[in-house]
Amino acid sequence: MKIAVLSGKGGTGKTTVTSNFAVNIKNSISIDSDVEEPNLHIFMDMKKPAFKPVYTLYPSIDENLCNLCGRCGEFCNYHAIIPAKNQVIVFSESCHDCGGCKLVCPNGAITYKKREIGQIFSGRSKYDTELHYGLLNIGEMSGVKIIDQLKQSTDSDENIIFIDSPPGTSCATVAAVEDADYAVIVSEPTPFGVSDMKMVVEMLRQMKIPFGLIINKAGLGDEEIYHYCRDENIEILGEIPFDKRIAELYAHGKIFSISLPEYKNLFTDIYKNIIEERRSL
Amino acid sequence: MRISICSKKAGLDSLVDERFGRSENFTIIDLDTDIVETIENTAKNDPSGAGGEAVRLLSKYKVDVAVVPHLGPKAEKAMEAFEIKTISQGDYKIVGEILEAYKAGKLKEIVKIKGLTRL
Ligand code: SF4
Ligand code: SF4
Repeated sequence: MKIAVLSGKGGTGKTTVTSNFAVNIKNSISIDSDVEEPNLHIFMDMKKPAFKPVYTLYPSIDENLCNLCGRCGEFCNYHAIIPAKNQVIVFSESCHDCGGCKLVCPNGAITYKKREIGQIFSGRSKYDTELHYGLLNIGEMSGVKIIDQLKQSTDSDENIIFIDSPPGTSCATVAAVEDADYAVIVSEPTPFGVSDMKMVVEMLRQMKIPFGLIINKAGLGDEEIYHYCRDENIEILGEIPFDKRIAELYAHGKIFSISLPEYKNLFTDIYKNIIEERRSL
Repeated sequence: MRISICSKKAGLDSLVDERFGRSENFTIIDLDTDIVETIENTAKNDPSGAGGEAVRLLSKYKVDVAVVPHLGPKAEKAMEAFEIKTISQGDYKIVGEILEAYKAGKLKEIVKIKGLTRL
């Protein structure tokens, strides 16, 4: 089962939630798919990860075969290949590696070259759980390919997989949650928290992925989030209270349910709620 | 000789547009016949690569000289490949003013110096 953890914006506690799930739910695997800014591995204390490069392909033109017929340019949705006066220009960063231009070229002038766009790191944490994360090279525009490969490398039915997703509702977020069986939104009980959360709710409803909410820093802020959830019929799976010690542990890169015994059952209880919710669907 | 100017609306009275790839329209003037036509920039809403696509559009309309606000690196590469000369529109605000300034030789060509664009 794949459970995606997401939020309307950064800094609402996604990594806190994912790391606490990872250490409390037996045999779970965690994936950090926020490839622009992965940080789960820091909390998980990952030991010597193995890494492998992720490549993308982009077209290269044989000028001797190309007669500038223009078909590749008409085909490409991203304007990544443009036949001009005396040459075909390629913007490799805009290319989505769809492979279409080669198919439509009547003269066999197109081949593909590969370029590294980032890496995938895999290994075990200090808590002896399996962990994977990706890192997009600086200057690259899209991490979707890395996210797809991250999920492929951990495709197993026996394990519970927690996916720490990129914040917001970008293409990268969609790629991260696409095939999730359930989604957990993490939000703070403040007016901003509620408004950021609405976009995510909309996205998940469109994608037809069942979801519930974890309220982080409960007790701070106001009641709006509770009213919103009641009106929208959104299940509150659990609450992480506003507790200075949690914030301090976070700042030191520590997982709070390990250090604070009173929170020991919080995440197993939330997990039970998720299983209940899934069953009642 | 055909020259294009980034314009908000149609015709010589229009305000100029300040963004090349996302320009609303291009007003194209044929200097040999003095015919003025305005074409819609169909690339303006494309999520990616609008600059390159806009250049392709200008080439389709046989533009020789493009007067532009400033150019991104992709649009610049495309202008070169389509052999369209680029000229800075400077601080002018109205399409007609730019045309007069161009005719009077007051506009500066955009020259590339070691990969940097200088106006
Ligand atoms: S592979 Fe697809 S996206 Fe890339 S240039 Fe060719 S047609 Fe465009
Ligand atoms: S489709 Fe092939 S032959 Fe036609 S312009 Fe593109 S590369 Fe050249």
